[in-house]
Amino acid sequence: MDPSASPASASPTPALDPAEKIRHLPEAAQAAFREFRAKGDPAALDPLIFAILEAYVPRKPPRPFAEYPGGTLLMDELGFDSLAITEVVFFTEELFEISIANEEILAVRSLDDLRSFIRRKVSARSVS
Amino acid sequence: MARLPVITGLGFITSIGNDRASVLRSLRELRHGFEPFDFLGNPRVPVKVAGTVKGFAFPTNQSRDWRWPAGYTIDREVVRSLAPHGVYAVCALEQALGDAGLARTELVDGSTGLFCASAGSPRLLANHINQMHAVRGERGDPMGIVSSIAGTLNFNLAAHYHIAGAVCGFVSACASSSHALGYAMDEIRLGRQERMLVVGAEDMNTESILPFASLRALSTNADPGTASRPFDRRRDGFVGTGGAVALVVEEAAIARRRGARIYAELAGWGQAGDGYSVAVSHPEGAGLREAMRRTLADAQVAAADIDYVNAHATSTPAGDRSEALALHATFDGGRQPRVSSTKALTGHGLSLAGAMEAAFCALAIAEGFIPGAAHLDEPDPVCAGLDLPRTSLDEAPRLVLNNSSGFGGSNVCHVLRRGQA
Repeated sequence: MDPSASPASASPTPALDPAEKIRHLPEAAQAAFREFRAKGDPAALDPLIFAILEAYVPRKPPRPFAEYPGGTLLMDELGFDSLAITEVVFFTEELFEISIANEEILAVRSLDDLRSFIRRKVSARSVS
Repeated sequence: MARLPVITGLGFITSIGNDRASVLRSLRELRHGFEPFDFLGNPRVPVKVAGTVKGFAFPTNQSRDWRWPAGYTIDREVVRSLAPHGVYAVCALEQALGDAGLARTELVDGSTGLFCASAGSPRLLANHINQMHAVRGERGDPMGIVSSIAGTLNFNLAAHYHIAGAVCGFVSACASSSHALGYAMDEIRLGRQERMLVVGAEDMNTESILPFASLRALSTNADPGTASRPFDRRRDGFVGTGGAVALVVEEAAIARRRGARIYAELAGWGQAGDGYSVAVSHPEGAGLREAMRRTLADAQVAAADIDYVNAHATSTPAGDRSEALALHATFDGGRQPRVSSTKALTGHGLSLAGAMEAAFCALAIAEGFIPGAAHLDEPDPVCAGLDLPRTSLDEAPRLVLNNSSGFGGSNVCHVLRRGQA
């Protein structure tokens, strides 16, 4: 049998290297993350945030997220459900090693809300 | 008039084929689904073979990396909360619904129920628990529970197919999906549901299979051609497998009214416990014998009328012996049915096994053949008197008995009957 097609086992140990955590995202998103880590500027993270959203949206919207106005609502207009939102939150927590409280999640409704929220959270914590 | 459950749709993702035609060919030609399997990259693991499921890949625990055969569309909205066996199950159920000629819109009015069986996903569960410890409980994958615990199949399939009827999961180890099918029959016979979807599935990976080596239940025979040989004197354990099988079960009059193809009638079922051991069959097959007796009584047929028995026999020394003794007791002195265990071809699918083998029985009835006892070279002397055909036979069985046994001594049987033309 082809071991790459059907491995006997996958390691149950979570990947800890941030670069490994985003290896599935587009190169522009990975570059944004590298730039953020090098310069510490949260504004550089936008391509990464959009890529995370595109990775977790239950059904792909017709246009890339970057093309939607900042006020576009995640659940009402972009097709996110509460489970997908919690997946985005979990991924973001894992990537930036931050904790996000339930009340903080509830306050995030639009693309701009999410963008500014993540910028604020990561600014409060230096990423190694 | 009594309500009669009938099988009108089948779907297969198995080691011996991923559709009805290939499964049928494997059963008729006794083609097995085994391949050498690398458990943990450790040559010291004594188990070398598994019943692999072809055409799928689960290289990581992230569903975004998973692959399934072309022709199945599984949106991210669905796959995000599935285990690997949930992917198999969606594919099998899509086949079964297509086979039954049912649209998804026909499943949502509350008259269709869903009974499932799997052990959950040990691989994903271990991943999530390890992750929880790694971050000291501060965060976790929101899909961790619903994708991994026992019940993941019914959680996911009920949501995906918008099932508003009875929904339940069954956990009796290797008898699980036989329980699911039996209770599905009751839902229809009692008039609670018009249609039941029954799905059995298991992951096909190290985490689901290798723990059975600790019980010394797995074959250490490295030859895929002989590792699984139920009822053979040299059998040394079972070969693990995974996959999914789905059955559409409907009330006969409703099925006939809509012109559905009827594979077989489900004439009766029964169960009985061994009351003996957590993991070892009763040495004389007491529970299985009683389960067969109750099933024949429920179906109102005599043992001598059974044409074929699809045995549970997994190829373990103790289990096969126990079942052989139970079969002797059940068919003692009368006409002997043909007996075979299709696990010689598929391997042992654990929670999947009962539904998979019921589907094989339905195929045998509908297609007019009896699967042979593959890989049987030297029958165990305890089998003397059992009719174990070495090849598949072009004999059309009218009444078929399907046996299953699980941990704790749960024994479940079904009688399937050829329907009226």
